Amino acid sequence: MSQNKRLLQVKNLKKYFPISSGVLFNRQKRYVKAVDDISFEVYDGETLGLVGETGCGKTTVARTLLQLYRPTSGQILFDGINLTELPENEMRKIRSRMQMIFQDPYASLNPRMTVGSIISAPLDVHTQMSRNEKREKVQELLQLVGLNPDFVNRYPHEFSGGQRQRIGIARALALNPDLVVCDEPISSLDVSIQAQVVNLLEELQNRLGMTYIFVAHDLSMVRHISDRIVVMYLGKVMELADRNEIYLRPQHPYTKALMSAVPIPNPKKARSRQRIILQGDIPSPINPPKGCNFNTRCPIAQDICFKEEPVYRELALGHFIACHFV
Amino acid sequence: MTEIISEDQLLTEFAVREHRSLWLDAWRRLISNRTAILGLVIVAIFLLTAIGAHFFWEYDPTVDLDYNAKLLAPTFVRSEESDQLHIFGTDKLGRDIFRRVVHGGWNSLRVGIIAVSISLSIGGILGLLAGFFESTHLNGVEQAVLTSLLGLGCGALPAWIANQPFQALLFMLLGLGSALFSTFMAQSPYLRKVLFGVIGMAIGGLLGLLVAPLVGLVCAVVGLGIGIILAKPISGKAFSSFTMRVMDIILSFPSYLLAIAIVAFLGPGLEKGMLAIGFVGIPVYARLARSAVLSVSQKEYVLASQSIGESHGRILFRHIVPNILSPIIVQATMGLADAILSAAALGFLGLGAVPPIPEWGAMLGDSYKYLSSGAWWAVLFPGLAIMFSVLGFNLLGDGLRDALDPKMRL
Amino acid sequence: MTANTLSQQSINSPLLRVSNLQTRFHTQDGVVHAVNGISYHLDSGEILGVVGESGCGKSVHALSIMRLIQIPPGEIADGEIWFEGRDLLKLSENEMRHLRGRDIAMVFQDPMTSLNPVFTVGFQICEALMLHMNMTRKQARERTIELLNLVGIPEPTKRIDNYPHQFSGGMRQRAMIAMALSCEPKLLIADEPTTALDVTIQAQIIDLVMKLQKEMGMSVMWITHDLGIVAEMVHKINVMYAGFIIEEGLVDDIYDETLHPYTKGLLGSLPSIDEAPGTKLVSIPGLPPDLIALPSGCPFYARCTYRQDHCREERPVLETVNANGHAVACWRWREI
Repeated sequence: MSQNKRLLQVKNLKKYFPISSGVLFNRQKRYVKAVDDISFEVYDGETLGLVGETGCGKTTVARTLLQLYRPTSGQILFDGINLTELPENEMRKIRSRMQMIFQDPYASLNPRMTVGSIISAPLDVHTQMSRNEKREKVQELLQLVGLNPDFVNRYPHEFSGGQRQRIGIARALALNPDLVVCDEPISSLDVSIQAQVVNLLEELQNRLGMTYIFVAHDLSMVRHISDRIVVMYLGKVMELADRNEIYLRPQHPYTKALMSAVPIPNPKKARSRQRIILQGDIPSPINPPKGCNFNTRCPIAQDICFKEEPVYRELALGHFIACHFV
Repeated sequence: MTEIISEDQLLTEFAVREHRSLWLDAWRRLISNRTAILGLVIVAIFLLTAIGAHFFWEYDPTVDLDYNAKLLAPTFVRSEESDQLHIFGTDKLGRDIFRRVVHGGWNSLRVGIIAVSISLSIGGILGLLAGFFESTHLNGVEQAVLTSLLGLGCGALPAWIANQPFQALLFMLLGLGSALFSTFMAQSPYLRKVLFGVIGMAIGGLLGLLVAPLVGLVCAVVGLGIGIILAKPISGKAFSSFTMRVMDIILSFPSYLLAIAIVAFLGPGLEKGMLAIGFVGIPVYARLARSAVLSVSQKEYVLASQSIGESHGRILFRHIVPNILSPIIVQATMGLADAILSAAALGFLGLGAVPPIPEWGAMLGDSYKYLSSGAWWAVLFPGLAIMFSVLGFNLLGDGLRDALDPKMRL
Repeated sequence: MTANTLSQQSINSPLLRVSNLQTRFHTQDGVVHAVNGISYHLDSGEILGVVGESGCGKSVHALSIMRLIQIPPGEIADGEIWFEGRDLLKLSENEMRHLRGRDIAMVFQDPMTSLNPVFTVGFQICEALMLHMNMTRKQARERTIELLNLVGIPEPTKRIDNYPHQFSGGMRQRAMIAMALSCEPKLLIADEPTTALDVTIQAQIIDLVMKLQKEMGMSVMWITHDLGIVAEMVHKINVMYAGFIIEEGLVDDIYDETLHPYTKGLLGSLPSIDEAPGTKLVSIPGLPPDLIALPSGCPFYARCTYRQDHCREERPVLETVNANGHAVACWRWREI
């Protein structure tokens, strides 16, 4: 696992969704600033955690990375190739190297297709394999993700949520991708099944050496699986650091609050810790607050936070932050 | 410490649910529903008698005439006036009503199936494309095809005014040109509009002049407008919006009146009735298909297929079409009932089937005058036939809706 | 010894005593055994956590207490639910309606759908007050403003006239809690009230409920799938699996002296925030059993790494292991 080679570079990425778009009369005026000028890098073989609450833009980042959404501006360099300027037919070739695992195992598998044809879809598109070769590959993949290879002709509705997520993982692995973007792959699963899927993902990474971007809202699970963590809030990166840095020395007030909101499954520790409870709700990304995005809920906000947007800067080696008071 | 069974061993014991096909499951749900079974039985009887009568019970309405047996009441005994048994009675020309009701079924079935096929194929495809392209970025080929189609559609207006069909083809080429050279003068959209407007004006005006000066003038103005529209290659959203507004216009007419107007324009006849009913039904399927496609396109499996890099055609036919079939099947079943009813209405007004072809609506229209003289059977039996066939298809449609419920077994 | 005898031991008669509750659903595919004879008790002022995964019967059991099970297809086949000396299962629907909302209130999982979108939030709370507390409209409105203030909704005098869609998810859940507390119930049943919310909002809601519970002295039943959430707030925990209570006890006993392999698995599945890097999560292999064809032995048999043949043949019953009422349903708890 080399930590030095950059697999993916995201530079000043923005994705705005227009709202109230009319064809005849009302022209597009307002925007949801789902992702607002974020930059980060992903190294080969690592797992980058992307964590934040509803509306922070983490899913939009994931989808924009794979060009499922065209970014409003900014660059996404995958292995040195700028994806944002790539025409669709060349992008299609790159898609075999980056795959995605989706959040909802009930919606991410076409209910009218057999497990076999779902998993072999990437093979149909990107390879010239014969029918038999594909079948063998599919069975091999099923075995890899811990499912019975005889299930190729079964339909998704015959499986439970956790098993379906395994099918989704098998589909993502079919082409031996370099990068797998996991978009909240466990948040709709039961606790005991979550651990199964996370263990499987870790085991597969050890065996196949791919890079993960792991998107989630659950900081404890992200910390468990990631090497580095990006904390997002309202379309911006608040803090980016090594996972132990984030845990031991969180600098940003939002990261601190997020850490203290994580439930601790230990009554004694849970009772003794000092919780930071943030007031209020997450503002709407249509009207983000002026200055620092977090100023409406920040316990240490001062005048400057309402006037100037903090610069996203490198605090220590590999530890990035956007706050006036650190 | 006690012995521990390995996790891997337990993993392989993963149970899956019983293997069941989705369609078989739906069928099971359908036949466990009593009203659906009733509908199914009625429809089956209707289909069997209609098809059976057409192929195995010859009937030539043009020679069916027996003035000796006019308006005989239904009876199960042979009477002196007629050598045949008329269990449904006879009509004003002495024709056996049972025979005509049974053969009328064939005509109703034909009308239903052809009219629904017309609405379903045109409306379904329009709705499918509108829904799909509404949220998808068009690629070059699609843009060229759609812009050409737009040119053809708009060009139909001056072509009709000047009675020169090839005008429409020229506008289609203009659309194609616009899509192929979409980058040409893209920096100054205003100038591009002027350029295309002038070309459009030239096509319409010059060709129109060949017919008459006034036609030339009108076609030039229309051509200018079309040129300006075509200057910007169509986007998926604009295509969807354009299609659905056309559908809204069709829907804004009361459907029966529109069908009557079309038949009045085309002239009466069963075939023309089918066309009219089919045309009127197009927007229903277009709207249904579009909304179904829009909801399916939001599903993560469509996103997943995009992330794999599947082509638009593959996404459309492997992921979207199979998943919007359920509501379409339900609507088509209900649509059959609607078409039968519309055909009967047209027939009753004398605009559908031309006498002496047996058709339920026309039979009612022929006979209601004799109701006052006590000939209830001439109206009752065709009326019952209409009622039961419509009821049957509606019950079946309702049952299918429950059976194909999108809330699938989880 | 079972939980039944436990409840008889308690000095005061408990606020709620459930004994041998069985709830089933008759479906096309067969009879779903959702709750299979559970017994426990809850004293007033106590917070009980009911923990289990989806389909373990935790929500169905709460709905059975509220008698909100749709019959048919549902059926409360057996059992007694004693609440303040009355068996709720023997009350008439009319008496039950008076009890619901006034003595036992419930907060549901989805704050987006549990408020009626066509009425203002204030109106919906006022309605409950006027119905159960015989207040006039003016009194009810004043009390509603107080309640909204109590649950931490800013500017309650303005917010009272807002419609639910003008509230965020967390605010709606607060409004739901305000509605549930409006008649000062003796028991609040919270059915996964924070599952649909973000972590920082979840922390707010938990904090709020704990504060209100202290102030008002009511009992709370907190239903959740997350052992992490309940650790800091509850006194007692019932762990449910396949419609059975498989382990119950005081919160410290459950976490420190975990006995049932399933509970151990649940705790192991949660990554701890201070774990060492590279720690592997303990996962529970397989899936919960089919509630239509329940195994005759231990319901956890198929997923248990400690199983023996005996476990398949005979179903274990709750066995009390210490004086605090810690009980477990496992044949091998002594060995593992």
